[in-house]
Amino acid sequence: MNTEERPIDQYLDEWLSGYIDGELTQQQRQRVEIHCAENERAQALLEELKALRSEVGNATLSQYGEDKWREQMDETGVQVSRGIGWVLLVISALAIGGIVVFGFLTDPSIPVSMKLLIGGFYGGLAVLLGSVVRQRMIESKTDKYNDVEI
Amino acid sequence: MKNNAMQQRLAQLGSGAHALATQILGNPDDAADAVHDAYATVLSKPEAYDSNKGPLKPWFLRVVRNRCIDIRRKRRDERVPVEELADSGPGPEQEVSRDERSRQIESALATLGADAREIVILRDYLDLSYAEIADVLGVARGTVMSRLHRARLALKEALQNDEY
Repeated sequence: MNTEERPIDQYLDEWLSGYIDGELTQQQRQRVEIHCAENERAQALLEELKALRSEVGNATLSQYGEDKWREQMDETGVQVSRGIGWVLLVISALAIGGIVVFGFLTDPSIPVSMKLLIGGFYGGLAVLLGSVVRQRMIESKTDKYNDVEI
Repeated sequence: MKNNAMQQRLAQLGSGAHALATQILGNPDDAADAVHDAYATVLSKPEAYDSNKGPLKPWFLRVVRNRCIDIRRKRRDERVPVEELADSGPGPEQEVSRDERSRQIESALATLGADAREIVILRDYLDLSYAEIADVLGVARGTVMSRLHRARLALKEALQNDEY
């Protein structure tokens, strides 16, 4: 084989894959067919590649069937809708809370001392609740036994 | 595409996506997590898929592949050790239902590089066209044929070595 033939051979070799995948132009297909008719090695390689493609296509390379993914899809759908529900709930709770606090703070009929007392009480409750939620979140992220199923 | 129809189609694509993710990550459990994450991404924003731009299958596989790359980047492990892939198969019960040739192909695939493994899976197992593969991998369409051919030759050799 001389040096000028080598690149053409390489192209034709790659075209064998394109040929079995139906990805060549008509002109390229004809060149491959002529090449294979003249070259036993190329013909043999073409047959081997066809067989290989078929074997990989028929293999079972995932141990999970469609049912597993359908279940997971349902589970994911529930998680996503639950997430959307939580986001809506938190946003509307914050908005309602904001309106109530604004109304309370700007109500001229309530004395300032009462506003401070009630504000302190609810502020303290909010800080306590916030610290408990924060602690729970840290625990759930760092708990090494989190994924253990009992 | 309506949400129910999309969910049904995505469930059908699950096993193929899992096979691809397993070849990228080298571990079926991590691969299942990647597919699960991809489902969550897609279902939380189904409008991101535009059916006018192409079929769902390559689009979803690209989402799965991107998720796998994120997971792999987190692990800071660019190349999956061959031993890990070979040892990461299903347990004995699931293994019984799989035929011998599938196991041989899986072992042979494990000896290839990650690029070769995924391109063989995308074409021969998932039956994507070269244009779709180029889209999933983010490479030029012209690159697909040469890369795929090299991968097939390597797989053929690995299978022959396994037989002798």
